[in-house]
Amino acid sequence: MLSRLALRNAQLMPIMARGAQSMSSAAGDRPVRMEKPSPVRHGIIPEEWFTIFYPKTGVTGPYMFGIGLSTYLLSKEIYVLEHEYYTGVSIFIMALVVIKKLGPTVAAALDKQIDKYEGDWESSRTENMKSLEECIENEKKEQWRADGQKLLIQAKKENIVMQLEATYRERLATVYNEVKKRLDYQVNIQAVERRLAQKQMVQWIISNVLKSITPEQEKANLQQCIADLQSLAPRA
Amino acid sequence: MGFGEYPAEYNPSVHGTYDPARYYGKPDTPFSQVKLGDLGAWFSRRKKSPQATAALISRAFWRWQHKYIQPKRSGIAGFFHITFAAMAFFYTINYKKIKAHRNYKYH
Repeated sequence: MLSRLALRNAQLMPIMARGAQSMSSAAGDRPVRMEKPSPVRHGIIPEEWFTIFYPKTGVTGPYMFGIGLSTYLLSKEIYVLEHEYYTGVSIFIMALVVIKKLGPTVAAALDKQIDKYEGDWESSRTENMKSLEECIENEKKEQWRADGQKLLIQAKKENIVMQLEATYRERLATVYNEVKKRLDYQVNIQAVERRLAQKQMVQWIISNVLKSITPEQEKANLQQCIADLQSLAPRA
Repeated sequence: MGFGEYPAEYNPSVHGTYDPARYYGKPDTPFSQVKLGDLGAWFSRRKKSPQATAALISRAFWRWQHKYIQPKRSGIAGFFHITFAAMAFFYTINYKKIKAHRNYKYH
């Protein structure tokens, strides 16, 4: 059992077995829960108890140690094979049969339960994350909408400025119209006055001229007219 | 280190999350790699106070827990370990009576 080949193979064993060691807990690392339990041989004996022998004894070493130790204990009756020992052997055989028969079924059922349990927690976590992400999304959208309000306020301000401008211009037009009306009124008054004065003057002059014409002048004028008519008559 | 307190050597900023299965003191040669001749020296370097013993048992318990009970899909091995440990324990405390059931006079 201590062959060179076994020894050489055993050199590689601890490296392979190290993967089977318990959880890694390097500084700063969060310990990770193992998925599967640490490997065991024959259902119960930790794998490490075998691999610890490999560098010195090869793969058969642990078995030889076990056989040797139990032989010693039994031969010296340190371990006494009294009635309870046989009870134990029968119980373990029965337990073994039950485990071999029902084990896989029970394990599958329990695995399913574990998966469901984990899935519930995982789904609640992802749902929560999703809803929170949606909240963030909505919040961003609301902010974007609020930005739109800025544009709207700008437009409203421009609108008000435009209204002010329109009112200003309307008032300017009113002032212009009012002033023009008053000036037109003055112009009309003056025109009327001038017209009246002229009329008065003309009437006054005509009446005076008519008044100044004497009957002799009228007579002479008539004579002159007749004379002119007579001078025109033969040429006709 | 008082009752229910972290080990004095444990420093969260250096070691991270507390692992009850981990020894936070200065690591010595692992027991499995100690040469037979150095065993005495190795044992003399160990702390032997009741607290240290309790801490040792606690670490071993947690290491066992992490390996066989806490994994997500742990098997039946852990329960058998408890069974065999209980058998060994009760065998030891009843050893005086069990010795009376020896079948042979000479060994």
